Amino acid sequence: MSFIRESELPGIGKKFLIQTRSGDKLAVIIHNDGRREMYHFEDDNPEETLSQISLDDDEARQIAAIVGGMVYKPKELETIEVSLQDLIIEWIRVEPHYHGADKSIEELEIRKRTGASILAIVNRHHQKINPGPEQILSVGSTLVLAGERQQIRQFKELLIGKQTGEPDQS
Amino acid sequence: MDDMMFEVGTALILVAIASVIAGKLKFSIIPFLIVLGMLVGPHAPTIGILDFKFIDSQGVIDFLGQIGILFLLFYLGLEFSVQKLVKSGRNIVTGGTIYVTLNFVLGLAYGFLVQMPLYETLIIAGMLSVSSTAIVAKVLVDLRRTGNAETELILGMILFDDIFLAVFLSVMSGLLLGGTASIGATILSVGISIGYMLLFFVIARKGPPILNKLLRITSNEIFIIVVFSTMIFIAGFSEKLHVAEAIGALLFGLALSETEHSERIEQLVVPFRDFFGAIFFFSFGLSIDPLSLGNAFWLAIGAVILTIIGNLIAGMIAGRKAGLSHKSSLNIGLTIMARGEFTIIVANLGVAGGLSVLIKPFSALYVLVLAILGPLLTKESKRIYRGVNRIFKWSEPVEKGKKKHSGVREVSEVSEDSKIKLDQ
Repeated sequence: MSFIRESELPGIGKKFLIQTRSGDKLAVIIHNDGRREMYHFEDDNPEETLSQISLDDDEARQIAAIVGGMVYKPKELETIEVSLQDLIIEWIRVEPHYHGADKSIEELEIRKRTGASILAIVNRHHQKINPGPEQILSVGSTLVLAGERQQIRQFKELLIGKQTGEPDQS
Repeated sequence: MDDMMFEVGTALILVAIASVIAGKLKFSIIPFLIVLGMLVGPHAPTIGILDFKFIDSQGVIDFLGQIGILFLLFYLGLEFSVQKLVKSGRNIVTGGTIYVTLNFVLGLAYGFLVQMPLYETLIIAGMLSVSSTAIVAKVLVDLRRTGNAETELILGMILFDDIFLAVFLSVMSGLLLGGTASIGATILSVGISIGYMLLFFVIARKGPPILNKLLRITSNEIFIIVVFSTMIFIAGFSEKLHVAEAIGALLFGLALSETEHSERIEQLVVPFRDFFGAIFFFSFGLSIDPLSLGNAFWLAIGAVILTIIGNLIAGMIAGRKAGLSHKSSLNIGLTIMARGEFTIIVANLGVAGGLSVLIKPFSALYVLVLAILGPLLTKESKRIYRGVNRIFKWSEPVEKGKKKHSGVREVSEVSEDSKIKLDQ
């Protein structure tokens, strides 16, 4: 496990000293005014910096998102997550132009018409695991689905609505 | 009245220009503003039609500068909490104690050596012991040293130093401002000072639940009015008790430091501290007659030399005790050497207490030299280390570099130097 030490720099801000598994030593300073600084130290001489970078608050957030993998996600990961023999667990985001957007599970008769099951509805603010029939598939939420390939495809057709003509992934 | 506003405005524009120049040169604004003040002060000659003496407006500028002191110390109070110090560990307490004790004792010895009376000696010792938080923090940020190993120790020692300053100012204001000659009355007024300080420590400890409730004000407008008005009121009230007004502001900050609002207040205070603080340095400069500097010249130079030696020794001991390398330890002494706002505040207390007229020019020269020299020495720490290393033969890094890959080291050394040149 990498090692992180947090310490206070009175009057300046906070300092995080990070020792990575690969042996890199990195110091991150968060200034009280929001600026961030990062220093990468030489391997064999922890007093010399190899590189340093100064970031504004917004830049730091962007870079954090990039490093954290929040901005770019490989395409495959966006949909199919797990496949256990015939069972597939997949997720899909509800877009505003979808036929099924803002309708309840009951209204769409999902189980009856597709056989797929919604395991969870994940919102930015809350998540509902194992949702009941009255749950609304609100715009912007992500649905976690389970079912066979055929069932999932039917579910997508039902949710998106055939008339929108979204190219089918499979 | 029209003239007054124009004079104050002109003064502020000069302050602004000096700040911009200092910023361009990547330097602390403190020495610039003091020199500016001296240049345009009431003692300066009139050049043609240009008369920058600010005689009419001096009262106003002084007052704004006093507000600057209040904000500086109020912020200081907010920043230091005993908890923070305890959390930051034993190294800092050890280092801070060594630092303060060594410098204070050197200061006392120096005062007696130059045959100053007791109170003057105490004030000089105090001036020699308090580092400039503003300059040190700025230097660390500007030179990109915040990531270094010694930085925590430096800032922690300064924090410790600040606490010393609070106690010292309290005791001295009791001694000097009590305005009585008898020993009993002096003890009483020192007692009042210390008791007053303890009262605020108790408030800081026990008060937060009540203060939290009182300060739960949503509107920033009302919040700032309540906090600042109370601060200035407490400062003024303190003066009535013969406790320096700056101490009042500091203690009020301390009382608020443990509340849940401390960060919000800090954020609101910073712009005021920076603005009025600048006026404070300027008005300090205004109050100094450049011609009087000559009298204090040798006295100040002696103190500067003593401070450099004292800081280097204290830095080395503190750093080595904390397990840092010789190079980092040397950095501590070089960085912490800067003197600025707090030294002036100590000197002002001496002046307010009616001590020797030498105190003022002495403090001006002392601060000017160390506010300039300190950051310069810090910047050149690499070269200084190389020089000192030749005498003491500490360094492992160089030997290690030679053994391992001297070629690479050579290159990195050269690139470091060229980088510094580019900065300039």
